[in-house]
This record gives sequence, C-alpha cells and structure tokens, in this order.
Amino acid sequence: MFIGTEKLTHTYMSGTPYAKEALRNITFSFEKGDFALIIGPSGSGKSTLIQHLNGLLRPSSGRVFFDHEAIGSDKHKLLQIRRRIGLVFQMPEEQFFSETVFDEIAFAPRNLGLEERLVRNRVNDALHKVDLDAGTFAGRHPFQLSAGQKRLVAIAAVLSLEPEVLILDEPTAGLDSAGRRTLFNLLTNLNRNERLTVIISTHHLDEVAALAGPVLVLKDGRLVMNGLAADIFIRRSELDELGLALPPVTEIMHNLFEAGLPVNMAVYSLTGAKEEIMKLKRRRD
Amino acid sequence: MSRSITLGQYLPGESLIHRLNPRFKILALLIILVLLFSLQTFGGLAVLLFFALLVFAVAKVPYRFLLQGLRPVFFIALFALVIYFFFTSGGVVLLRIGFVTVESEGVREGIFIVARLVILVMFSLLVTLTTTPLSLTHGMGFFLKPLSYVGMPTEEVAMIMAVALRFIPTLMEESQRLMRAQVARGADFETGSIFKKAKSLVPLIVPLFVSAFRRADELALAMEARGYMIGARRTRLHEDIITARDWIALTFVMVLLVIALTFGI
Repeated sequence: MFIGTEKLTHTYMSGTPYAKEALRNITFSFEKGDFALIIGPSGSGKSTLIQHLNGLLRPSSGRVFFDHEAIGSDKHKLLQIRRRIGLVFQMPEEQFFSETVFDEIAFAPRNLGLEERLVRNRVNDALHKVDLDAGTFAGRHPFQLSAGQKRLVAIAAVLSLEPEVLILDEPTAGLDSAGRRTLFNLLTNLNRNERLTVIISTHHLDEVAALAGPVLVLKDGRLVMNGLAADIFIRRSELDELGLALPPVTEIMHNLFEAGLPVNMAVYSLTGAKEEIMKLKRRRD
Repeated sequence: MSRSITLGQYLPGESLIHRLNPRFKILALLIILVLLFSLQTFGGLAVLLFFALLVFAVAKVPYRFLLQGLRPVFFIALFALVIYFFFTSGGVVLLRIGFVTVESEGVREGIFIVARLVILVMFSLLVTLTTTPLSLTHGMGFFLKPLSYVGMPTEEVAMIMAVALRFIPTLMEESQRLMRAQVARGADFETGSIFKKAKSLVPLIVPLFVSAFRRADELALAMEARGYMIGARRTRLHEDIITARDWIALTFVMVLLVIALTFGI
C-alpha cells in the first residue's frame, strides 16, 4: 500500500450540534506511479479525504497510510510527509501573496531551508515542468497572469517541493476548455515522464473519462465505487444517479448499445466514436 | 485552533427561549442588568442564580457551553477576589500575613461582586446562545432607531453589523483553508520567535485581504443589483412577531425588579 486509508471516518466539529460526518469508513489504496481519480458530486467529501492524505486533517477514527506506514501525529514525520506529498488546493491561485512569480514558487523550497542557489534551480525546474518560460514569467506579478497561467504557477509552487505524489483538488475548476486540456496533458506527462504519482479529485467526468487509472467514487462521505476507470465508467446508470454525467460521446455510444448495436461503449473521444461507427458500417455492408 | 473562538456562538434549538422575540430578549437582559446592580443581599443573588440555571435548563443549552462561556471571566473574577480580599477593610480580621490582612468585609464584598459578574455573564450568554447573530443585530437596530432623529444612519449601521457578522464564519473558514494550504507548502505557523511568527503570517494575511476585498466588491454589486439603496426604507422577509409569550417574559422580569426594589432584597 503506497498511499491509502483504512476505515477512515472524519467528523467535523464533533461534540457540538454542528457535528457533521464528512467521511465514513473509507478504505482504499493507490500504488506508486498511479494516475488516480477521486470523483463524486460536490459535498461528497472529496476535499476532506484529500486533506487526510498528507496529514492536514486527522482522522476521527481509522488510519491513513503513506509508503507502507500509518501517518501518525509526530510533527517531524508529518513535515517529512508533507514534503513528499504535494497538495494543490481548490482555486490555488487564491493563496498567492508574493510580488513575483519567482517568490511565489520559491516559498516552498525556502521553507525547506534550501540555499538560495538551490531555490533558484527548484523554481526554474518547477516552471519548466508546467511549461512556462522562466525568463518570461519569473519576474511578473502573479496577478498579471491569465487564469490558466495562474493555475499553472500555483501547481509549480507545489512542484517546487519536488514531491513524489501530487494531489490536486478540483484542478480544472474555473478554467476554460483550452486551459483544462493544457492542464491534463501536463499532468499526464508528469505522471508518465517524471514517474510522479498523481491523484485528482473532480466532478466533471468528461475531462477524465479517457484516463485509465484507479478510480474512487464518493457519495455523501461514503465510498460507493472503487475500481479501475474502465470498469467504473461503464456503469452509466449508477453514475447517472450520482449526478455524474459521462462525456456526451460516451453517452451516445451507450445509447447505441442499448438500441441493440454491437459497439464498444468505452469511447471517450469523437475520433474513437467515428472509428466504432465506421466499423459498424463496414460490418453492415 | 480557531474553534475556541466562539464568535457568533449561537446554538440552534427550538426551545421557548429560542423563540422569544430578540428585542424582548435584549430588553429583558437590560432589566436583569439593572436588577443585578440593585440587589443587595446574597439571598437575592441566589434566587437570580437559580433563575439563570432554570432558564438554561428550559433553553436546553448543555452546561458544557455555560462553562465554556464563563472561562474568559475566570481570571477577572480571580483578580477581583484578590483585590477585595486584601484591600478592603472592615469587620473581623480573618487572616494576617505580615502586613496584609484579610478582613471579613472584604471577603463578603469580593464574593458578592464575583457572583454578580458571573450571573451577568450567564444571562448574556443565554441571549447570545439562543439568538442568531442576525436577529440579534436586528434587535439592536431597533433600539438604535431613536438615534436616527439626531442624524445617525441607524439602518445602515445595523446593515453593517449584520454583514460583518455574516462574514465572520466565512472568513474564519477561509483563513483555516489558507493556513492548511500554506502548511502544505511547507509553511510553519507555530514555532520560532515572536518576530518570526509575525513574519510567517504574511502568506496568510495577504490572500485573506485580497479575498475580503473581492468579496466586499461582489457583495456591494449583488446588493445594488437587488435594489439596495442607502437611505431607502427596507421591509423584512422575516417579520418580527411579538407574542403573548414575549410580554409574559418581560412582565415577569419587570416584576422581579419591582420586588427587589420595594423590599430592598
């Protein structure tokens, strides 16, 4: 078990009339190098779960594991864990406080106590990883950037910790479709080329349906599905009940299948759909 | 962390006390305040203390919240006790430590003052625990109204208070989220000298200010879009209904005050 939880339950403000159980009895694990998804409608507990994975929130009961070890309350160890597991919050550009992109990204490595020379290397590396040109961007004010660029800088600001795991909470919220595509290409590349374990939470299936890794589906704080993407995205009616819509193309393929046509339903792109339909047509002819 | 700050400490409930009109609650609190300061005997204080506990029971507020609310008063009470014990003279000398003496009059007065303080805080807690901050501000706005004749924009003041109260939980949540976000980036808010700690707050305060200004801007636009105008007369969605219950409660407190005043209890 590289990263995961065992019977994790979390209750906010327990012991008061405001007590709210956000997570109940969650058990799962992801392996090193996975590109994993946590999906569920808003309010299903995704953010709460994610914040447990690097020890920012403590479980009310149950345990959280990282690298085959339970995450305890030892401060020094927690610090180590937070260096190894980078967490990008929802709308991360709202955390910006520096006057330049450079300082913003340098915040994390400076907190590690690195020398300024090493800090500069880390910042340049991080900018390179998110495909932003250090010469152009390092000196800019973070508020001068576009929404998509801000998001990339915010991710670079966590990548500068050089984590082994990168967790992103709703990374595409508020981005346009071009920004979303750039971001996903980038994350897939980081996962493939840098061997970075990536965990993403989202409630938009259309942007992640084509990915192949492990998937958790949450609803009202409970784990309702746990499996590989291919096995989960085939369960259309159940996903539908959770308010999670498959990409329109996939919906069409499901409809065709239900109408009695022998097509593959696990199609997530227009090109794939076209191929399937052409195949069908050839068979007919 | 910030959970110990009980601003807007309202506890939701459906009790008789919860349903009383906020204006009447404020008024009753004022009368009890006057009553507290006109009481002269321990007997009177004991009755009032019993009354306070009774109201707590009726409001179904767990006593844990009472103790929590009284905690900040503890040191003031202790301080007052010490001052009264050692610096008020009169009566029998109970204790002599070198030059200082503890005399019976001082002990009596010290305990009296502290009991008064505790009861006062108990009743104030009752009001804040059983009234939503919003209706509390509306209630206060009502009592501010006469000031509008001398040119004070009371409606606007009440609105400012209501908005401020409304955003306290939002800002608290936001600061917690930001704190966690920066901790995830290796920030350390806990260790180091005071100077270092103050400096470590920059990554927290700057984004908090940015978002507070953004929020204020959005709120102003949203209010204007819905026709809010300074100086215009507003009506309210939730009418402020006064029932027989409210009058009974107020009369009861008034009777207590009259009894205390006439008999010098």
